[in-house]
Amino acid sequence: MKKMIAVILSLLFVLSALSGCSGGQAGNKVLTVATSPDFAPMAFVSADENATGNDKYVGFDMLLAQYLADEMGMELEIKPMSFDACQTAVSLGAVDMAISGFSWKEDRAENYNLSDYYWAGDNEDEQILITLAGNEGKYDSLEKLSGVKVGAQIASLQQSLCQEQLTDSEIVVVTDLTTALMQLRNGDFDVLAVAGGYADAMMINNSDIIKTGFCFEVDPKYTGNVILMTKGEDELTATVNALLAKAEAAGYYDIWYAQAKSTAGIQVVYDEEGNAVETLP
Amino acid sequence: MDFSNIGNNIIKLMTQYWKVFLLDGLSHTLLLTLIAVFFGVALGSLVAMCKMSRFWFIRFPISVYIEVIRGTPILLQLYVFYFMIPQMLPFLRLSPFMWVAVALCINSSAYVSEVIRSGIQAVDQGQTEAARSLGLSAGQTMRKIVMPQAIKNILPALGNEFIMILKETSLASTFFVGDLMTKYLEIKGATYLGFECLIIVGCIYLCVTFPLSKLVESFERKMSGKAGAKKAGTGGAV
Repeated sequence: MKKMIAVILSLLFVLSALSGCSGGQAGNKVLTVATSPDFAPMAFVSADENATGNDKYVGFDMLLAQYLADEMGMELEIKPMSFDACQTAVSLGAVDMAISGFSWKEDRAENYNLSDYYWAGDNEDEQILITLAGNEGKYDSLEKLSGVKVGAQIASLQQSLCQEQLTDSEIVVVTDLTTALMQLRNGDFDVLAVAGGYADAMMINNSDIIKTGFCFEVDPKYTGNVILMTKGEDELTATVNALLAKAEAAGYYDIWYAQAKSTAGIQVVYDEEGNAVETLP
Repeated sequence: MDFSNIGNNIIKLMTQYWKVFLLDGLSHTLLLTLIAVFFGVALGSLVAMCKMSRFWFIRFPISVYIEVIRGTPILLQLYVFYFMIPQMLPFLRLSPFMWVAVALCINSSAYVSEVIRSGIQAVDQGQTEAARSLGLSAGQTMRKIVMPQAIKNILPALGNEFIMILKETSLASTFFVGDLMTKYLEIKGATYLGFECLIIVGCIYLCVTFPLSKLVESFERKMSGKAGAKKAGTGGAV
């Protein structure tokens, strides 16, 4: 029995020693950033199979994170996790911040320190409704949407927009957008609220999806993204805001966005009707 | 739903990402499962012994431990081990992968301990009584009489536990530790082909679990056959 315990303990030590190597260098301050790397071109996983550590995660948000870490003289550590977990991580203080395409929302502002807006490409400019092919012109105005079932992702900007503007529609909450797509095909709801950029990227590989033509009226305050920080971290928030202003003045956002898109391999080709066609990254 | 399109997309995804799914994803899933089951069994044996202890002050906290672990969702346990424990023990610098592995070990230890305990207790009380009356000590009785019979109940159930954990590692994808389900999230995020990715990942899981469950089944039959011939032990485990 004692032998067994000794073996177990020594194995545990070896394992912990092995895994301990992954930590940052001692002495250097580390900026830990949570992100949900499943959303090209903002944050996604590099196609390079040999990439390790931070290099594994690429996209606009990662370039922004690297910029922040460099400017603050810290070492960057990306912590990938699901979108929900990002918020939990920040609220528990397990990470310094979360950069994962968060939109500004009132309840978010209550529970977290939010940075100023950073421009997030054409991803957030328009908030629209999509539906299945064959429903052209059926859902393009507010009157036509009365009584219609509308899908929206939980805790998303789209959900708030639906609740504010589609008061006569029935709103169905979904957990993630890929599942939502399947639900849309199954007829759980008739239309789905998404960001314009997301719809474009999604339509490349899903030819049975079309835009309804309906656009939400979006308050300018929603069109940018924000960085989530733990409530009360005012000093960090001020630093981040100053750096964001600097990046905007220097015109970095455009460069990053172009770089992120080319990394993602997004080559959107338009047909005669202006619909996105082609192809896998 | 256009199924021919889905078929084409699956082929496209597989040609491009088969390495990511099979080499990277599957190896992480199997590694995570092996670590979880190995330490789960080691820890689970200890827990089972404590649970069967004569002293209530050992039995009681262990019962609480088992009930808490078995009575809460594993996703919740992963959150606790990923976010809260590292903050409470800042000197322990484990990689995210290891924290998830630890959480799975703890979870599996509670289930395994119950498997072991029920396996031991399923051995007829008469065996112990006979052994003790023949002058064997409690330790000898356990080692020479009870355990050899209990093993027949325990081993097949451990095989099932392995399969269970293999599937439960998919929850670790919440923290992108690199298992199969993480690969699903990553490739879905890059290609927006969620359904197709799910089908691929599902097939890979099935390709691993199906032969395993068949193996466990035949093993179980063998064990119960032997036990039946000797008229010892009580039936196969769950």
